[in-house]
Amino acid sequence: MAPESASKKRKAVTRDSPESEEVALSDGGDDFEVALLNGIQVQSGDEIDGDSSDLLEDEEESGEELDSDEVPSDGEDDVRELVKENGFSREPTPEEELNGEGPGANYHITKDANGNLRYVYNEIDPVYDSDDSDAPATTNTIGNIPLSFYDSYPHIGYDINGKKIPRPAKGEALDALLDSIEVPKGWTGLTDPATGKPLELSQQELEVLKRIQMNEVPEEGYDPYPDMVEYFTSKTETMPLSAAPEPKRRFVPSKHETKRVMKIVRAIREGRILPYKPPPEEEEEDLDVKRYDIWANEAPRPDNPTNIPAPKLPPPGYEESYHPPPEYLPDKDEKKVWEEADEEDRDKEFLPTNHDSLRKVPGYARFIKEKFERCLDLYLAPRVRRSKLNIDPESLLPKLPSPEELRPFPTMCATKFLGHEGRVRSLAVAPSGHWLASGGDDGTVRVWELTTGHQVWSVRLEKGEAVNVVRWRPGTEAIVLAAATGEDVYLMSPRIADLNKEVAAKSREIVDAGWGFAANGAKSNTKKEPAAQWVRPGSRLEGDGVLAKFGLRKTVKVISWHRRGEYFATVSPQGQTSAVAIHTLSKHLTQLPFRKLKGLAQSAQFHPSKPIFFVATQRMIRSYDLSKQELLKIIQPGARWISSFDVHPGGDNLIVGSYDKRLLWHDLELSVRPYKTLRYHKKAIRAVKFHQGGLPLFADASDDGSLQIFHGKVVEDMMENASIVPLKVLRGHQVKKELGVLDLDWHPREPWCVSAGADGTCRLWT
Amino acid sequence: MIKLFSLRTMTTQMRLRGGSQDVDYASSSQVRIQLSTRDNDISLPENPGPLLVNTSNVIESSFLERLLTFVLDLRRYALSTLVNHLLKTEKPIPFEFLINGTFLRTTLDEYLTSRGISSEATVPLEYVRAAIPPGYKTSFMHDNWVCSVDVLSETSPAAKWVGNARIGFKQERVISGDYDGILRVWDMKGDVLAVSRTVREGGPVSALKSVKFISPTQIATCGMDGVIRLWKYTEDVEDLTASLSPQIELYGQRRVIESIAVHQPSSRILSASGDHSVGVWSTNASEAPAPPEELLPSHRGNKRQKVQHSITPQRGPLALLESHTAQVADTIFAPNDHTVAYSVSWDHSLKTWDLPTSTCVDTRSTTAVLFATVSMPDLNLVAVGGTAGHITLIDPRDSATTVSAMTLRGHKNFIFSLATDPDSAYRLVSGSADGTCRVWDVRSSTTDKNGKVGASVECLQRESGKREAQVFGVCWDKDVGILSASEDKFVQINGGTIVEARIPRGH
Repeated sequence: MAPESASKKRKAVTRDSPESEEVALSDGGDDFEVALLNGIQVQSGDEIDGDSSDLLEDEEESGEELDSDEVPSDGEDDVRELVKENGFSREPTPEEELNGEGPGANYHITKDANGNLRYVYNEIDPVYDSDDSDAPATTNTIGNIPLSFYDSYPHIGYDINGKKIPRPAKGEALDALLDSIEVPKGWTGLTDPATGKPLELSQQELEVLKRIQMNEVPEEGYDPYPDMVEYFTSKTETMPLSAAPEPKRRFVPSKHETKRVMKIVRAIREGRILPYKPPPEEEEEDLDVKRYDIWANEAPRPDNPTNIPAPKLPPPGYEESYHPPPEYLPDKDEKKVWEEADEEDRDKEFLPTNHDSLRKVPGYARFIKEKFERCLDLYLAPRVRRSKLNIDPESLLPKLPSPEELRPFPTMCATKFLGHEGRVRSLAVAPSGHWLASGGDDGTVRVWELTTGHQVWSVRLEKGEAVNVVRWRPGTEAIVLAAATGEDVYLMSPRIADLNKEVAAKSREIVDAGWGFAANGAKSNTKKEPAAQWVRPGSRLEGDGVLAKFGLRKTVKVISWHRRGEYFATVSPQGQTSAVAIHTLSKHLTQLPFRKLKGLAQSAQFHPSKPIFFVATQRMIRSYDLSKQELLKIIQPGARWISSFDVHPGGDNLIVGSYDKRLLWHDLELSVRPYKTLRYHKKAIRAVKFHQGGLPLFADASDDGSLQIFHGKVVEDMMENASIVPLKVLRGHQVKKELGVLDLDWHPREPWCVSAGADGTCRLWT
Repeated sequence: MIKLFSLRTMTTQMRLRGGSQDVDYASSSQVRIQLSTRDNDISLPENPGPLLVNTSNVIESSFLERLLTFVLDLRRYALSTLVNHLLKTEKPIPFEFLINGTFLRTTLDEYLTSRGISSEATVPLEYVRAAIPPGYKTSFMHDNWVCSVDVLSETSPAAKWVGNARIGFKQERVISGDYDGILRVWDMKGDVLAVSRTVREGGPVSALKSVKFISPTQIATCGMDGVIRLWKYTEDVEDLTASLSPQIELYGQRRVIESIAVHQPSSRILSASGDHSVGVWSTNASEAPAPPEELLPSHRGNKRQKVQHSITPQRGPLALLESHTAQVADTIFAPNDHTVAYSVSWDHSLKTWDLPTSTCVDTRSTTAVLFATVSMPDLNLVAVGGTAGHITLIDPRDSATTVSAMTLRGHKNFIFSLATDPDSAYRLVSGSADGTCRVWDVRSSTTDKNGKVGASVECLQRESGKREAQVFGVCWDKDVGILSASEDKFVQINGGTIVEARIPRGH
């Protein structure tokens, strides 16, 4: 293990795994480390495995080699000592076995002549191991005994022939011998090959040799360390030789250096020099290069150099274990994070869990689900990876045309109609487009000239109650105005300057036509009490042009004419069963078509072209087929309290205004739910109206004192939806007691709008 | 007609040969002006001869010398004097000067500097007779809103048609019709000479939408009741009393008659009605056909009406011209040809009618409802005004390619009535719902992306002080001035006739 770790360490350093072994052998420093470690472990008495002993032997050999080089380092010596110790510590073991009573001993004991024990050794079987001929020759023949045994003898042993080996001569004897021989000075004992005479060295030569021997310069008298000659004094002179001041460049940052630095800086800025090596760009997925998964259909195959097997998957780690080590177990926070994360966002598919034993591991919880999903995949289609849309929502909206392109529409107040005391509750533009009728809290119905704002006719209805609604009868052949005050509904022909004899006569004729019918009807239908009794209004009102009146049970809030002017509907929201009444003008007949009506009726209107009747309650608008007498459709605008609605002249669209500030556009062909909801007002919407004269305009009037004009174009093409563009906010009416604009109407042809304000004025907007 | 000569302006170096000394003005700017006019009677003589020489030669009269010596800045007055001198008028006529469509209100030098015009260029100067700003003269008070006004003076059409009418100074008459349906005849002192109640005394009101003098003794009125009434007006010079008596009632229109036009020589009346038709009527009871029965008040009427109507002869229309698709708001005779009529309507169109054949000759459509029209014969233009708030000048001739020849912008609301200047073919006045009357000069115009655009030269406010009192009717007479009838219950007279060649009233 240790060597492994050491080699890993080396790998970390060099990043060169194949050569690591060689390096390990050749590198002395590392060797030493390894050997030292080995030695320490050996000394500690642990088990030695084969690998390490091999290494040791290698070490020993290298040690021998070093020995022969005779330049051993201290470290190596230590190593060898350690090795030797190893060797000694190992050798005694077999010797002990030899000395012991082991059965395999290779000697037997006999008695010699003196009767002493004699060891007789067996003949040595010369196996390969026994041959030590390549071992160094022994220089000593006396064996492994100390020399001190022979101290008392003149010899020190015997040779192979049994002769005594004399003790070598001692120093004293040599000295004595040498002293006896006189050697001249400079004698070398060598013969000069040139002269044949013995070579003798002169005194001079001897001294040179001596100096060479001493590692000195051979030349005589050479002084390697002469005294220093001071050419320049090291002492600071008080009076310098030059009086020139210190040049500026000595203490100013060098311009040249700045230049060079700037050159580099500029190069760095321009990118010619990169201050650091840019990280290698990740290789982009090159779509041109085709890549093949060569292991896609891998089948087991016999080993072959041409076959490259697929790389093996990493083996399961500790955390995949059923009993992972505690450090792999997630703590509470990690667990929580993992559980809260989206299934796709988890970094691991599983949570490491600890089980005491394998049999306590539960079954795979997601097994069925995964199988099911897999089957689903196979059955349906590969599920597309959900990708988040990165589109600006604004760009998806269709472009609205600018209001300038949608002219004409009302933009400014042209005329004010002043005269009403108190609020003006309702107004209507006559079908001819010339007159404006209005009714207000002062109990009068007034008719004005539309363009000039001059009041041309006025009548104070009975009781002086507020006039809640005024509506003109459609059609220009007669001028009939219906007005409601309290429970009473009046039909009048305003004597607009007592003009138009023909028209006045026609109007009177239309209203008067029903008197006989009413009388006849009352006679024939005596059982049933008529819903309303039509009567003449009395001489005062008759003189003013009021032609007929009838009373209903509750306050009438809405009058709506049928397009032909033959019928009109009234709505009195408080009347339960009699809330909606339809009146036939020519017969002076009042009918209550809805005996049962869910909710409080708010408004009612005839369809512009079909025999359909719309009734709005607080939350719903119901459309009834008048000919079949059945409910057609329930429109659910989703408003909490509908205040008014209007049917598009085309008949397929509906706008609904509600007290909860919403203006809703319904496409009846599309849905019973609103096609568009417009929420621009700050206060309740009181009235909504379509332009009936062919211009794609509609408007709403709100309690915040403003009117809003919209462009609402209905396209004939069924595939296209109506385009609705807010055009203009018309401000001018004052808000009195939380009430702003109470009613509005459009001019029958021109893009003009009139509004009735709680401030007692009506305004014409053009 | 056009003179080209060099004139040294106020900083011009002038050498005056008046005496022994030479006067040098240290200056160098000198500008060439080109004088022109569109009025033939005041155009310069044909021979330019001496006028083309050096300025010093031109200004040789002692008056001019004095003038140019002391009046250094060459304003309108100096230029006017110069033109007068050139014209050799006995009595100086005040002139105004137009440069490139704008009136010169500063010195010429200031004008040139402000416009950045080089003094080397020739400046085209168009001189026109100066009009005194129509100052407020007087007001006639009424009981209700006044919707129409007309005037009888020596120069008014009604007097001209008769020919022998002698209407003295201060003898002009003003008639007005109000929303009560009352026709009043005023003298210039502001006294009501005669009042005509409606036919039925105390009956419901029937606003008089239009009142017109046919002749000094005949008045035509129309109103919301759809009847045109002709009144005989007689004045007793002795005891200073006057009386109005109904002459003829013309029935035939089924709705409001918004306007009538009268032409005495051919005894024709045109009416613009809310029933989408233009009625042609005769003032001669013998010529006119019987009225349609169903429109007569006696038809299904009460007794009182019958009694009333037995007195006045009732007649019907000669023709009803029906081509408009909405109510007709105004109609006029073409000034030069009484067989041609123009009418404007709520259907946005101007129609030209040929009366003898009762056919619609031409239709020009605009963008807004039209309320008023007036013809400018010398320019071959018809001015129309309506809800758009601007006056459009339309060339009704077939050769005209564009609908709008010029647009006069300035009003902020509906334009209810228009009238031309009796003395100038280029000026007109408009009455608007924004409470002002504006005087326009067609010669003063600029060109922008929408074509020629003119701005008003005068703006007359209501003297009554009522804000935004709509002006329903205007009338412009040479002697009396501009009369305007308004919501503030006044007929206001702004005297703004062109100054005759008498004493020049200093500027």
